[in-house]
Amino acid sequence: MNAIVAIVRRNVWLPPLLVLVLLGAAIGIMRPSTFAMDQINIKVAAAMTLILIATGETIVMTRGGIDLSVGGILSLTTAICATRGDPGLVESIFWVGFVLLLGVLIGVLNSVIITLGKLQPFVVTLATWSILEGSALIILPAETSGVPKSWVDAEHLLVGGVGVPIMLLGVLIVLWAWFSRTPIYHSVRAAGSNERSAYLNRVSLLGTNAWAYGLSGFFAAAAGLYFSTQTGAGHPTVGTQYVLPAIAAVVIGGTSLMGGRGTLLGTIVGAFILTLIGDVVFLLKLQSYWQWVMSGLILMLVVILTSLTESRASRGGGS
Amino acid sequence: MPLLEASRISKRYGGILALNNMHFAANAGEVHAILGENGAGKSTFIQILSGAVAADEGELRLNGAAIRPRNPREARKSGISPVFQELSLIPDLTVAENIFFGDEHLSPLGTISQRDLNKRARDLFVSLGLQPMPVNVPVRMLSIGDRQIIEIAKGLAGDPDILILDEATSALLPREVDWLLNQARERAARGKLVLYISHRMDEVRRVADRVTVLRNGETVGTETTAALSDDDIVAMMLGRRLDRLFPERRTTATERIAIKATDLKVGHQLRGVSFALREGEVLGVAGLQGHGQRELFMALFGAERAEGRIEIWGKPVTIRGPGHALSSEIGMALLPEDRRGQGILLGKPVRENIVLSALKRIVRNGVIDSAAERRLVEEAVAQLHIKTDSMEQLAGTLSGGNQQKVVLAKLLATEARILLFFDPTRGVDVGTKAEIFSLMRGLAARGFAILFFSTDLAELANVADRTLVMSYGAIAATLEGEAMTEGAILSATLSQRSAA
Repeated sequence: MNAIVAIVRRNVWLPPLLVLVLLGAAIGIMRPSTFAMDQINIKVAAAMTLILIATGETIVMTRGGIDLSVGGILSLTTAICATRGDPGLVESIFWVGFVLLLGVLIGVLNSVIITLGKLQPFVVTLATWSILEGSALIILPAETSGVPKSWVDAEHLLVGGVGVPIMLLGVLIVLWAWFSRTPIYHSVRAAGSNERSAYLNRVSLLGTNAWAYGLSGFFAAAAGLYFSTQTGAGHPTVGTQYVLPAIAAVVIGGTSLMGGRGTLLGTIVGAFILTLIGDVVFLLKLQSYWQWVMSGLILMLVVILTSLTESRASRGGGS
Repeated sequence: MPLLEASRISKRYGGILALNNMHFAANAGEVHAILGENGAGKSTFIQILSGAVAADEGELRLNGAAIRPRNPREARKSGISPVFQELSLIPDLTVAENIFFGDEHLSPLGTISQRDLNKRARDLFVSLGLQPMPVNVPVRMLSIGDRQIIEIAKGLAGDPDILILDEATSALLPREVDWLLNQARERAARGKLVLYISHRMDEVRRVADRVTVLRNGETVGTETTAALSDDDIVAMMLGRRLDRLFPERRTTATERIAIKATDLKVGHQLRGVSFALREGEVLGVAGLQGHGQRELFMALFGAERAEGRIEIWGKPVTIRGPGHALSSEIGMALLPEDRRGQGILLGKPVRENIVLSALKRIVRNGVIDSAAERRLVEEAVAQLHIKTDSMEQLAGTLSGGNQQKVVLAKLLATEARILLFFDPTRGVDVGTKAEIFSLMRGLAARGFAILFFSTDLAELANVADRTLVMSYGAIAATLEGEAMTEGAILSATLSQRSAA
């Protein structure tokens, strides 16, 4: 028993992975066609917006903070994408770069206000969320199609049967494998684990926060680009639907709410769980609102399981 | 020229002057001890040296050149490497990640190799002559003793020019202390400077060439260790004190026992403490920081889960929590360590603060009887001489001493007859101190039973009837009468860990 606990503690994404496998198996039994390649492409495509946002949130929560402004960044960037007319290649590259940079700048701004003002991340990013959500509606007052067709086409390319979302997921995992070994991420973990100790260990809190929130903004903007090219439309209020699921995906994936510990693999698993719950609800022919009930139950289950292994390990681990 | 020189250093925290024009000089090639009572300013000085806090005034010179470390990074660049008493390890990073944090070797891709870190950590343990320990586990899984060893290894790792050991031996075993003292001597022999902060006289004698004594934020003097006796050092640390600060002490203790505690244990911090507190008695508790006195108070108040037996007025009880402790069944109130955090609501009026824990007494038919409330508050303000414009003045606008009186008033309003005072005079001016002492003796004369912890040993020697001296979570000595002098209490707090 203790050996299992030790393994789970080192790989916190194992329990959610088990949940995901069970969900996948249930869906597979009810609808065997699910595991065809085109279906997998569709599932990954459906989960990708959440995965991108939750990636940034994972970094911020490992830092011990929280970033609600990702919802606003998502709404705003989809609105920007849907109002670009019909740009050529150079213009397209400019606007894509602009959108990503905008996300970074908003994140860095968040971090500067939080660090220098010694303010709660929750409150600061709640305010930015509201500002950005409003800005999105000023730019684009209602859900409108109008994302450049070339962008939509590029996003729907298939290479040997593999869609862009799967490739993105692969790139994301490789990038994470690199990023999680850099001194920057070590500083993020250190500051999230114990801010005072991190400072005594020469961590610059301003710099570390800028990286964490800046990356969170970057990934939220990337999610906006992705979402608008997936749907071909701007959705100036879509952010609201993603903020809490993103945080839930991170927590289900085993990232500690107290900071210091985080894993992207777990977050990806968490995002897939939340996405597949919709399928289960559909296949069981339940009302779609059951999706929220089941998401909540799974979140609670995972949190309880995690806290049980925590307390068991801390009892066994002390000497 | 001294390697490290500090002149006219001052540092203020709120109303408290932690360092007051202090000066200090130490040479390359020596182990230099810095001694002083709790609150003398040692830790503040170390924090300034290591860049953790900035001095308000004064100058630091390294090899004659002025330095002003604004953060730990800059201090480290100047070759100053601290081993902190509070421990600066990051709980979620592994042993190896902690030791080399900020000094990792990066691959061409800019990544940190875990394998390389682990190897360096193992090599470091070997080269320092330490027993190997697992280097790939998060530090939070390790015992406090192991963490202290890691903190020391980390401080030693870069072979710094100035090594600061701040109470670095508090959780070490005797053979580990021997190892550390050897390391310090060896580094001094190679021309490095080692600053050694410790309460333990025997260690200071074994390792230090010279000692500097601080008192109340000022430098008392610097001498070669061999030129001073232990008594000299204790006298330098204590200085002379006001005698009229303390009220006349008459024994008012009866035979009735208010608290009888048997073999109280809390984790590793409290290792089996037994004592009896009698009606009418002020029982002192002494101990250096982190030797179990906090846990003792928290366990009695039900705020910390403890093993062992507690009898209140002769009746065995299990105190389930602070609410239960305050109830009429137990009748015990705590004056907490952290006044601002736990004792007082700064944004609320004096009136609300005082009645907060005594609402039951003034509620009639479910609502507060404002006449009864007024009576209660007026009595308390008069009894404790609280200087306040009105009952409605916000507690946060009172002076530190008057805030403490409000906390005391709140305690007395509960009608508890057993009072736990944890460092009641911290941050309080001398005049209020004297009032608090006479209040304590007055309460004892009226049959209250008081457990009284203070970091100021003179207060214990002059106010308490008896004093329990704690060391390593156990009672090292019980002093009373003529034997209960400041010096005797201090010596007992410095006693070695028994049978550890």
